[in-house]
Amino acid sequence: MRMSLWQAREDAEGVGRMRGHGGWCAGGEKSTQTSLLISPSCRFLLNVSGWRPVQKQVLLHRLVSAMSTWALLRFPAPLIRMCSGNWGLGLQEKPALLFPGMAATAVQVAGRKDYPALLPLNESELEEQFVKGHGPGGQATNKTSNCVVLKHVPSGIVVKCHQTRSVDQNRKIARKILQEKVDIFYNGENSRVHKEKLEAGRKKQAKKKRAKETLEKKKLLKELWEASQHVTEERTGADGVPGGFRE
Amino acid sequence: MKLWGRILWTLLSGSRGRRGVPQGWALNSWKPLSSLTGLLSAREVVSHWTQVFEQRGIPEAQESSEYIVAHVLGAKTFQSLRPVLWTKPLTPKQLQYIQELCSHRLQRMPVQYILGEWDFQGLSLKMEPPVFIPRPETEELVEWVLEEVAQRPTTVGAQGGPLILEVGCGSGAIALSLLNQLPESQVIAVDKGEAAVRLTHQNAQRLQLQDRIRIVPLDITSEGCWTHLLSWGPIDLVVSNPPYVFHKDMEQLAPEICSYEDLVALDGGEEGMDIITHILTLAPRLFNVSGSIFLEVDPRHPELVSSWLQSRPDLRLSLVAVRKDFCGRPRFLHVRKSAV
Repeated sequence: MRMSLWQAREDAEGVGRMRGHGGWCAGGEKSTQTSLLISPSCRFLLNVSGWRPVQKQVLLHRLVSAMSTWALLRFPAPLIRMCSGNWGLGLQEKPALLFPGMAATAVQVAGRKDYPALLPLNESELEEQFVKGHGPGGQATNKTSNCVVLKHVPSGIVVKCHQTRSVDQNRKIARKILQEKVDIFYNGENSRVHKEKLEAGRKKQAKKKRAKETLEKKKLLKELWEASQHVTEERTGADGVPGGFRE
Repeated sequence: MKLWGRILWTLLSGSRGRRGVPQGWALNSWKPLSSLTGLLSAREVVSHWTQVFEQRGIPEAQESSEYIVAHVLGAKTFQSLRPVLWTKPLTPKQLQYIQELCSHRLQRMPVQYILGEWDFQGLSLKMEPPVFIPRPETEELVEWVLEEVAQRPTTVGAQGGPLILEVGCGSGAIALSLLNQLPESQVIAVDKGEAAVRLTHQNAQRLQLQDRIRIVPLDITSEGCWTHLLSWGPIDLVVSNPPYVFHKDMEQLAPEICSYEDLVALDGGEEGMDIITHILTLAPRLFNVSGSIFLEVDPRHPELVSSWLQSRPDLRLSLVAVRKDFCGRPRFLHVRKSAV
C-alpha cells in the first residue's frame, strides 16, 4: 500500500520536525530514540518496532498528548511549530504545512467527553477553493468573496461555507463540517453524528414516557379525590346535615 | 397590488431628495415596473441587484448584493440568514435601506465602507473611509504571530505577555486581534494617519481592549521616532502590514481602492520597499537581546528583503522564514535579530 516516507529530525525539545507535504508528525517522548511517524492515511504508526496499524483513539491520544495544554485552546500551534522551524527560504517547496487549519479538526474535537474524537482530516486529501480571480491579492485587491469550497478527495464530499465574513473562519468551519460528514460517510451508523442523534432521540423518548406516566398518575389521583368527595357528600346528605339543596 | 404600489411609492419618493444621488439614475437602475411585481423576498432582491450591478460593470455583483441584503436583515452573510428569511417578503423600509446601500455600491464604494463594519479574526470592526480596509490575507499574518508566540514564550516581565509594536495600525485589525487572543500581551499601535488613530481608538473601545493598547500618531520614517517608542521598555515583536505596493502598480488599482482608501497606506515607493526598510532599520533599536519582525509583503519582496538585509549586516537581522497565503503566494516574512 502507498505510504509516504517521512524524514523526521528531532530538535532539542524532542519534538519531531518534518519536511514534505501533508501527513502528521508527533513526538510524544522527550528521549531522542523514540520518534513517532504517522502515515498520511493516519492508519499506521511507525516506531522503533516498525509500521503497525493503530486504533483511531490511540492515535489521537498520542497526538493530543504531544501537544501542550495551551495548544489545545489555540489549535494549530504545535503541529505547525514542529514543521516551521528550520525552513529557511524554501520558496520552491509548497509549504502545505504552513497553511493554517491543518490541525484544527483534531484538536477541536479532542476534548469532547461523551464520544471518541472524530478522525482528523488529512490536509493532503483536501482540495480548497477560494476566491476565483483574486488578482494580485493582498493590498492591491479588495475582494469580499470569502466563500470557501472544501473537497475531501477520497470520498468526494464537498462542503461550501460562507457563514462568516472572514476567510479564515470559513476555512475552520468548513473543516469541522467536512470532518463530520466524512465521519458519517465512512462510519455510517457508527458515526458520531448518528450516535448523537440516536442518543438525543432516546432521551427524548424517555422524557416523553416519564411525562406521560406523571400525567396518568395525576389523573388517577384526581379521580380518586373526586370519588372521595362524592362519597363524603352522600354521607352528609344521609345524616341530614345541611349541605344539600333539595329540601 | 396595493402593497406593491406603496412600496414603489416609498422607494421613489425616498430617493428623490437624496444628496449626491442624481434623480435620473434611481429610476434607470430599476427594471421596467412590470418586473417589480413579486420582487419582495430577500432572494429576489439579491437577484435583482446582482443583475443591476452586472449591467453596470460592478465587480462581485452577487457578493455585494448578498452582503447588503443580509446586513439589512441583521445577518453577516446571506448563507447565515435563517432560511425562512430568504423567502419572506421584505418591508418597504428594508427595501429602501437596501436601495440606499446599493446606490453607494454603484459608485464603486467598497462593501466594507458601505456596511460600516467588517470582520477580522472573529472580531467585528468599524470601517470608515479612508482608513485602510483589512485584507483577508492579513488574518494569516496574525495566525502566524500567534503560533510563534505560543512556541517561544517571551520572558515574562512585570506586565506579562509579549510587548508588541504594530506599525501602520489602520483600523486596528492586527493589534486588536492579537490583544484579543493573547490576554497577557500589550500593544503599541502607531499610524501616521489621524483618521487611522481615531478609528483604532474607537475599535479598541468597542472591543473593550483599550487598557492594553497605546495608540500613537507617529511617522516611523521621521528622524529619531524610536526614542519615543522606547519609553515603554524593550519590544518583543514588531508586526506590520506596511504599504508595499510598487509605485508603478498603483495606477492599476481598482476604483474601489483608488477612490475611497488612503493611498498613502498602499504606496510603498519604487520597489514597494520604502516603509519595509524603515521598519527593519528601526526594529533592532527597539529589541532587547533578540526579537522578531513579522511582515506582510508583496510576493516579489522575499528576495528583495533578503538581499537588502545582506547589504546591512550592521542590523544583525536575518530572514528566517517565508510563508505563503491561501492563494499560494509568498506573502509573509519572519525576520529575526540574532542574539550573537
